[in-house]
Amino acid sequence: MALLQIAEPGQSTRPHEHKLAVGIDLGTTNSLVATVRSGVTETLPDEDGNHLLPSIVRYTEDDVVVGFKAKVNSVDDPQNTIVSVKRLMGRGIEDLKTLGEQLPYQFVDSDSSVPKIKTVAGNKTAMEVSAEILKKLKQRSENTLGDELVGAVITVPAYFDDAQRQATKDAAKLANLKVLRLLNEPTAAAVAYGLDSAQEGVIAVYDLGGGTFDISILRLTKGVFEVLATGGDSALGGDDFDHAIAEWVITQSGIKNSELNSSSIRLLMQEACTAKEALSEIDEVELNIELGDNQKWFGLLNRETFNELVDPLIKKSLMSCRRALRDAKIDREDIHDVVMVGGSTRMLRVRELVGDFFLHEPLVSIDPDRVVAIGAATQANALAGNNPDGDMLLLDVLPLSLGIETMGGLTEKIIHRNTPIPVSRAQDFTTYKDGQTAMSIHVVQGERELVTDCRSLAKFELRGFPPQVAGAARIRVSFQVDADGLLHVTAREETSGVEAHVEVKPSYGLSDSEIETMLRDSMEHAVEDKGLRNLREMQVEADRVIEALDAAIADDGDSMLEADEKNSILEARAVLVDARANATDEQLVKQAMESLEKASANYVARRMNASVQTSMAGHKVEEFSSEESEK
Amino acid sequence: MPNDLFSKNYFEIFEIPVAFDVDLSKVGDAYRELQKEVHPDKFVNESEQQRRIAMQLTSLINEALKTIEEPILRAQYLLKLKGIDMESDTDTSMDAAFLMEQMEFRETIAEVRGKDDPLHELDQMTAELKQKLKALTNDFQKHYSDSSLKQARDAIRKMQFIIKAQKEVDEISEQLEDELI
Repeated sequence: MALLQIAEPGQSTRPHEHKLAVGIDLGTTNSLVATVRSGVTETLPDEDGNHLLPSIVRYTEDDVVVGFKAKVNSVDDPQNTIVSVKRLMGRGIEDLKTLGEQLPYQFVDSDSSVPKIKTVAGNKTAMEVSAEILKKLKQRSENTLGDELVGAVITVPAYFDDAQRQATKDAAKLANLKVLRLLNEPTAAAVAYGLDSAQEGVIAVYDLGGGTFDISILRLTKGVFEVLATGGDSALGGDDFDHAIAEWVITQSGIKNSELNSSSIRLLMQEACTAKEALSEIDEVELNIELGDNQKWFGLLNRETFNELVDPLIKKSLMSCRRALRDAKIDREDIHDVVMVGGSTRMLRVRELVGDFFLHEPLVSIDPDRVVAIGAATQANALAGNNPDGDMLLLDVLPLSLGIETMGGLTEKIIHRNTPIPVSRAQDFTTYKDGQTAMSIHVVQGERELVTDCRSLAKFELRGFPPQVAGAARIRVSFQVDADGLLHVTAREETSGVEAHVEVKPSYGLSDSEIETMLRDSMEHAVEDKGLRNLREMQVEADRVIEALDAAIADDGDSMLEADEKNSILEARAVLVDARANATDEQLVKQAMESLEKASANYVARRMNASVQTSMAGHKVEEFSSEESEK
Repeated sequence: MPNDLFSKNYFEIFEIPVAFDVDLSKVGDAYRELQKEVHPDKFVNESEQQRRIAMQLTSLINEALKTIEEPILRAQYLLKLKGIDMESDTDTSMDAAFLMEQMEFRETIAEVRGKDDPLHELDQMTAELKQKLKALTNDFQKHYSDSSLKQARDAIRKMQFIIKAQKEVDEISEQLEDELI
């Protein structure tokens, strides 16, 4: 922009050296985005000041709504309003049946192994729904930060298996977001605390959310975070505490189970939740239950009774901690700090018992809902290369063992859980029939003995090796797990040197062509999104031009401009101001800006000459060149 | 990137002498320094090929660390460097008295569930097994330094039995924990 070229040396805006990268906590209920700005890591709010984005997506015939606006409709339009999509990620139709509860969506049968939800806007996969949440957060970041993102660190639960991780990566791909790294949520939390205190030693991350519990043991040494072990319980969380209270109320009040309907259950659960939260502040809480005409009950719940109700649940989580310590080969006494993550760790009783177990007062200074996003942002900043001095490095482990199916439907583990990643292992197979030229291999993930109890990741066929007698062929299958915890497989017949053809069919993932189709489908929206961003950029540019012009005119407008010259410039300025405020198309703003540029071209030239003459007066040329080289 | 790591043995990777006695804290430091150099996270913005090499190097270093850290794997690896590959060993003769002792121990493990405080019993077994493992490790070291490689190999075989027994103890502990939940 010509007007800006007259800025004094050193004052011109320099190109961005800071690469914009964000951390995204893609949660079941809520999602968050955070970034590092001027050395401070913070979560980013939307235009209304909300940091949390409800992970809810609503499809209408011609629009997609995400967050609070979608939440409003979750009751009256449940079939098109997708909640808790994270629980569907990387799952097949069969898994959905075992999720244990009635999902309000209609799933459609398709050729693909990926279940699709029927909505008014067409059939959507969990990845596409998640992509909408990611797009929203990406847009929020770019609007706030004013530039395009180089990438994001997205967090996943430590217990996520390969299919779920792959699904998360696919969602990011659909949202046109580069994934710098998938990061385990507890690791992210540890990073959030670790950098503050620059501590060394072994720490435990205790993450109790609404529906899941996670424990991770990490070692910090000179900026390196090593995950030693992870464990947990995917069916233990704050909701269970509410249940325990609700059941107590039912027993105390004599309300019959059979008289409860779904709305009175919801009401009861809400009361229970309120009581639970209150008991972290006060010693006794009044419960005033009114479920219907003849179902009123008033009672008191004191902390002692409450503790009796919830202690078994907390102790259950401590059993997982015990196991994780053993996996990590760490004694309780060796734990230096305990980090608390997840809303349920606001409960005093949880803090007490966890403190007793680990012999340490737990760390609670960072908001347990935001700590994961903050850690992810810190890591994203380091990966983007913004922190060349800091040599922080995260060394993660495989959360669940990888194995293959052997005779009789048994699992043979190839890579054990809690093995540091990346890792590669090779396994040799042979033929069991004369002349056999193909074999199929079934890769599973999990700790159980039976294949049917583990998660099926992929089935592949090795084909095209030369026929030999049974047992003579040696087929070496290599499993490589990358830093994100994702599996890659290659195979080769060793005796003949023939590279066997490997066909990997992810059991519940998307094929590349499916991703391509979805990307094309989402292009329409992407065009809109892109248009919006271009407009926003053009508006920022217009603001700068107007500001520079106003400053110039105030400075020397009267001395350098004839009256009619000045008028035509001001007219063009007014057109631009109007276009900047009202145009919905970036082209209109651009045209107005070009007109202004044309109208002020002579003025700009005159100013530049004057500026060069003044600043050069009394100086030698060499001084300028040295000034230049210092920059 | 230090591509020459691919041609080094695990001890050379961490720049420590080829011996059973290792300074694990030194190995840990070397491991972390290497990871800072080769971990794929350091190559996020590099070419696909660079990232693949980084992944392979990191995998190698992880494998090396695991081998050096675990005494039994380290012992096996030392013999492998001397030309004795226990994975493809066909001679599996064992000391009969030792086998007998192992069978008795397995029975004790199987009966632990009936005890009053099984988790405590299991903790004691763990302590006992630890001690045995330590004695066998000393045996291995002695034979290895005398270059009596066959005896060194026998010591490793016994260690494998003890480790397997420990695994059973751990499994029962886990099962009991699950039941107590």
